[in-house]
Amino acid sequence: MRALGRPSTTVPLILSLILVPLTVVLAFVWTGEDVDQGFSQKIFYLHVPIAFTSYVAFAYGAFCAAMYLWRRTPEWDLRSYVGVHSGTIFGTLVLLTGPIWAKASWGVWWNWGDRQINVFLILFLYYCAYFMLRFSLDEGERRRSASAVYALLGLGLIPLSFLAVRIAESLIHPVVFTTSGAAMPSSFFITFLIGLAGMLSLMALLMAVELRGKRAALRVLELQRATRGEDA
Amino acid sequence: MIGAALAIARVKLLLELRRREVVFAMLLFVVATIVIVHFALRADAGAGPRAAAGMLWAAVVFTAVLGLLRAFAAEAEEGALDALLLAPVDRAAIWLGSALAQFGFLVVVELVAVPLWWLLFFQEDGPAPVPVIAALLLANVGIALVGTLAAALALGARTRDVLLPVLVLPLAIPLVLAGVTATYGAFGEKGGGFGPLGPLGFLALYDLIFLALAWGTSEHLLGD
Repeated sequence: MRALGRPSTTVPLILSLILVPLTVVLAFVWTGEDVDQGFSQKIFYLHVPIAFTSYVAFAYGAFCAAMYLWRRTPEWDLRSYVGVHSGTIFGTLVLLTGPIWAKASWGVWWNWGDRQINVFLILFLYYCAYFMLRFSLDEGERRRSASAVYALLGLGLIPLSFLAVRIAESLIHPVVFTTSGAAMPSSFFITFLIGLAGMLSLMALLMAVELRGKRAALRVLELQRATRGEDA
Repeated sequence: MIGAALAIARVKLLLELRRREVVFAMLLFVVATIVIVHFALRADAGAGPRAAAGMLWAAVVFTAVLGLLRAFAAEAEEGALDALLLAPVDRAAIWLGSALAQFGFLVVVELVAVPLWWLLFFQEDGPAPVPVIAALLLANVGIALVGTLAAALALGARTRDVLLPVLVLPLAIPLVLAGVTATYGAFGEKGGGFGPLGPLGFLALYDLIFLALAWGTSEHLLGD
């Protein structure tokens, strides 16, 4: 198997160890209280970066899936899997932190009028099925292709879900909450960016660790086959 | 390529005409689903367009999944798939032909289900038929394209039958959203409230995007 460079774990480890706690500290110490939402707005510095990171991970998974279909090396398949897996882990966190925020600021755990969380739910359901598909196929070329095609189709689903939810909102639901484009104070925005950087490095760390593990597992499998005299 | 796809679709439709395995099951299923959702919502005639629109679309999507479970059944069970893969046809043609057949099944099912739905819930003051029919046809295209692709992906899987609905349903959510919106709009409830694209435009866009994505990836389907 040809490895495409060795992903570093040290750099993302150090960055996430610094940036994630820093975000929490800044959120409580530096940023002021939000005028509308008060204290509950603090979760914004975790929730939104996590959601953004999740999208990045899914997009990375889809990109690597396309690369797999083009290049057909198992390495891209592993990377695609790792991307989708990280996306799902962060996605779970989004679906946990979202309702907490919704309860605190709107009084309900789930708000069907909120566009972002509904789109996210569709995408999350979709990528959860990725694992079912992947693990009910036997290891090999067919599994890699099917996983890649499925991961890639998600690229179509993201914009379509956004559009569909918006279209349906305008006719069926009254638009309850619009994200007013009120400019954030710079302390809010900087804390948000630090939070985003922290989550992205955490994602990079998780991906690098898992990718190493998966590569090792694949190598073991190849060696096992070789010792049994099969064609790897 | 198109010729091969048409030939495959023709074979599938002929086979169905002779055996009557899938469409009858789909017909019974769609009626049962409408009845179940009706009782679940206690939605009688005059229960309002929203409940009725939802009922129709839920029934159509679940029925489509039922049909998709058998999309490659003949090929897989009788070993025709290997022959088909060895034949000098594009894999995209196999996928497209199967999708055409699924589209045909759905149209047949809706020819029964939609008048029945109409009869059961409206009789007089129903929705304008043209937008509803247009939305159904466009959604049929989308679900046939995407669903056949998912069926091809799940073909070699150990858990094929439970896997397929899990793969298809999230992909169908945007279709249902747009379909319900179009149907609801056809009652003239909030006429003219359509955005620049509108639900029908959205459905067409969905079909195009997944046609492109599926076509692009379909050479990687159906095994090695």
